Amino acid sequence: MKLKALVAAGLVGASSLALATAAAAQDKTIRIVGFGASSGVVGIFGQNSTAAMSAAFEKINAEGGVTLADGSQARIVTEYYDDRCNAEEGISVLRRIASTDALVAIGPTCSNVAEPLFGIMQARVDDESDTGLQFPVFTDVAIKGGLAGISDWVFRNTPSEAAMYDELFGWLRETHPDATTIFGGVEEDFAHSRASWYDVMKTAADKHGFELVGEAQWLLSDTNFSNQVRGMRRAEPDIVAISAHPFTTCGVLREMARQRVEPEVLVGLTSSSSLETLSGCATEAEGLTIPTSFAPVNDEARAAAEAVVAEGGQMDLHSASAWENAMILKDVIEQVGVEGTAESLEEDRRKIRDGLAAMESAPGLLGTNQRMPDGEAVKPYVFVHARDGGWEVLHNPGS
Amino acid sequence: MDYFLIIDFVQSLLDGLLFGTTYALIGIGFTLIFGVMRKLNLAYGAAALAGTYIGVAATFAFDAPPPVVFLLSALGSGAIGIVVYYCCFRFTPTHYPMASLLASVGMLLFIDEVVIHASHGMPLPYPSVFREATIELGDIWVRGDLLFVFFICVVAMAVLFWLLYRTPLGLATRAVSQQPRAAALCGIDPTRVNLLTFGLAGILGGIAGAMTAAAVGVLSPIIAMGLTVKGLIAVVIGGLGSIPGAIIGGLLVGAAENVFLMLRGVTERDIYVMLLLFLFLTLRPGGLFGSTAGRD
Repeated sequence: MKLKALVAAGLVGASSLALATAAAAQDKTIRIVGFGASSGVVGIFGQNSTAAMSAAFEKINAEGGVTLADGSQARIVTEYYDDRCNAEEGISVLRRIASTDALVAIGPTCSNVAEPLFGIMQARVDDESDTGLQFPVFTDVAIKGGLAGISDWVFRNTPSEAAMYDELFGWLRETHPDATTIFGGVEEDFAHSRASWYDVMKTAADKHGFELVGEAQWLLSDTNFSNQVRGMRRAEPDIVAISAHPFTTCGVLREMARQRVEPEVLVGLTSSSSLETLSGCATEAEGLTIPTSFAPVNDEARAAAEAVVAEGGQMDLHSASAWENAMILKDVIEQVGVEGTAESLEEDRRKIRDGLAAMESAPGLLGTNQRMPDGEAVKPYVFVHARDGGWEVLHNPGS
Repeated sequence: MDYFLIIDFVQSLLDGLLFGTTYALIGIGFTLIFGVMRKLNLAYGAAALAGTYIGVAATFAFDAPPPVVFLLSALGSGAIGIVVYYCCFRFTPTHYPMASLLASVGMLLFIDEVVIHASHGMPLPYPSVFREATIELGDIWVRGDLLFVFFICVVAMAVLFWLLYRTPLGLATRAVSQQPRAAALCGIDPTRVNLLTFGLAGILGGIAGAMTAAAVGVLSPIIAMGLTVKGLIAVVIGGLGSIPGAIIGGLLVGAAENVFLMLRGVTERDIYVMLLLFLFLTLRPGGLFGSTAGRD
């Protein structure tokens, strides 16, 4: 009888211990935060990133969370910090994030925030004379080329616009042999738009033999485009490339329709391959061709897009990167053996940085993303065009 | 002189003048409120934009035709103007002018953010009329939709003049504007006049917002700051407190910005417009028609 009582007590004790351990494992959390513009006029980008990150982490947690160095499982918790697409606020936000128990941050939205922000970080890792911020940042949206090279702590999963537009103009050369001239329109006061026209589209067009017959500039908040489009009409270009965000893209497209400017091909900025352009001017945008690193072309991409919509966002090339970043970070956490304790925080952040730096490729929604030594990515992409109020895949260079 | 340069100059001037009527309307709104209360309402442009969104909401809710959308935009903006009055002006101490000014700045940011959250910052299509219509006078094209904008703005100004100079309400408004204490002694309720002025100015702002969005064909929260700044420049040039000044100032700003755009490009355009503002502020601080005399 005594023996039975002892065994029973032992079993109860062991069960309690097991339950307590399991409860402790479930309580373990890893904090990955997002930051960027979730309010202000470009707030939709941050809101979509928030939805994509939340959906991705929900999926990861539903599948058991992440495995830590000691073999235990941890849930990922997240929140989003708003920088309003303002450089000063962005710097302040990242400093605040770094002072918390966050392991790594995903952001920011705007290139004009990213550039100065990356400048306050330690440029070269292990440089003891450099007291810059040592905190891993994995960018999803800010797309201006070459920014990851500013700091060894910065990694980006944004598509390479240089590669995409090079391929696009090469393809246009083949499919529109009669087209010889191009006119460029650029939103002059937005870092991404400027860089994409002057450094990317213009160079790619020239490389593939398109003669530049004119350029027009306008500002992000402009409402009158008659002067600019008049120049376009006089130049009679075969191709018109518009490097601008949806509001002014729509304004220019409407003015083009009004002045009966009808180029053979209309090329747009990567960021305009979104719902915003279609909600603003679907009719005038008909035929607008844009390279993008996201389109719901396979089961995984479709499922991810649905999950993001369920979180109240939209999946586009930017929010797709936020989704991919979440998935990549899960893999990195498990590969590098993150301990996930308060004492190991600094060491864990360094492991994440080193893990991201060591990656040569990562799975993405459209295929494998190549990770470059400078922290940038080369991602698979497709060409889409606006058709009947939606974005339709026009050509898949990878197929 | 190059033929195309002359054509471009005339075209830019014409487009600028037509578009400048929206700046004039915003300027009149600023000047009406300043005339009556001697206070600046910096939330005015944002309220005008918010009213325009009310019109857009009607489009989505029941596919309203353009005239109804324009009307709802104007009325919505008028209603928001009254809310702004109660929140920022009615109860702030009159002997601290900065209190109402800063309250209106706070209201500007608040309205702006509410609009952005409600619309997710997405550009929305706004109905235009005569969008495809163009009058071609040789190489000069006159946009039908801008002519419509011009016509509506001129009608709005005419109605305003009728209200101010042919009705008891206008008489009361002018009385409060010139001698608020004497007006009160004559039995005019300044609070009621202020309220009506905010409502009226709001309606004008709503028309300006609606016409700006109709001219672009797209509505975005980005427009608010531009409307505020351009409206303020128009009233400073025209003379704060002068309605004819706001009209001339608005047309001048519209024309100058388009001509400088053509001559110097978009990166320098605003520099010259601001230089114009600077010149007026230093050489003629009262503006073109501003009164140097104070009131009691």
